[in-house]
Amino acid sequence: MPELPELNPVIHGKLRLAVLSLLSGAEEAEFTWLRAKTGSTDGNLGAQLAKLEEAGYVTVTKRFVQRKPQTLYRMTEAGRAALSEYVQALKMLLGDAMGE
Amino acid sequence: MREEMSGQDLKERFALIETMIAEGRRSTESWGWVFVLWGVAYLVAIAWSSWGAGQLGGSLLSGTHSDVAWPVTMFAAAALTLVIGLRRGRRKTGTLLGRAVTSVWAGIGISMLVVFPALGFSGRLEVHSFVALVAAMLGAANAGSALILRWKMQLGCAVVWWAAAAVACFGTAGQASMIFLAAVFVCQIVFGVYTMMREARRARGEVAHA
Repeated sequence: MPELPELNPVIHGKLRLAVLSLLSGAEEAEFTWLRAKTGSTDGNLGAQLAKLEEAGYVTVTKRFVQRKPQTLYRMTEAGRAALSEYVQALKMLLGDAMGE
Repeated sequence: MREEMSGQDLKERFALIETMIAEGRRSTESWGWVFVLWGVAYLVAIAWSSWGAGQLGGSLLSGTHSDVAWPVTMFAAAALTLVIGLRRGRRKTGTLLGRAVTSVWAGIGISMLVVFPALGFSGRLEVHSFVALVAAMLGAANAGSALILRWKMQLGCAVVWWAAAAVACFGTAGQASMIFLAAVFVCQIVFGVYTMMREARRARGEVAHA
């Protein structure tokens, strides 16, 4: 019987998982857009994004547009690979759980 | 961590990923204004081109001002689209779908801006082929965009453009011009206004939700 995979703890948090999934479909996303889509607070979202950035799964760009600050997040290749691995692991675990 | 997860937890994570990926792919860009802008640009070009010619007929291209009217109006519309699009795009979240749709329209738009001036300057452009080519290209762009966005209404526009392209090959120059005008009104002005209203409703919904 094959050994069941471990789930990546960085991605496993619900908000971090939601953010990475959102970014996988978006080219780049503003902080405010991520906040609206996830329904989270500024503080919580900022903290989770910092963890994803620290893990190298997202990059952040700050700029000014029409004199207003804008913070943009983009998923990295490492983030994409990690999410893909997480989904594969989840499928295996789900298959195992369904089989029980 | 694995031990703590029940089958229900795993399913919830999976559902969360699917929902968020779908949300992330949803286009946030506004396109309605582009349809209206180009619809108005075509109408301005036709009116300017036909000015003083007395009838629409062959004057869609052979009017007293058509040598100037079409190139000036089309390049002005292209410049306006670029400037307004860049200004609006800076404050929007870019999605893969948005980029795909923009690519389809940019490709078709550049093809038109290259081919029609060349045909015009070489003296080989006439009403039937002009309407058929423009309508076929706009049909292709609308169909590509509709298939990416899975939007039946826009696919309907593509069918209207393709039908206009085929029908324009028959009948008189005046009839071809009328077909072009009708297609511009339905697929640019009406569809553009409908799209703008839909986008406004969606924006209000998202603001309320946020």
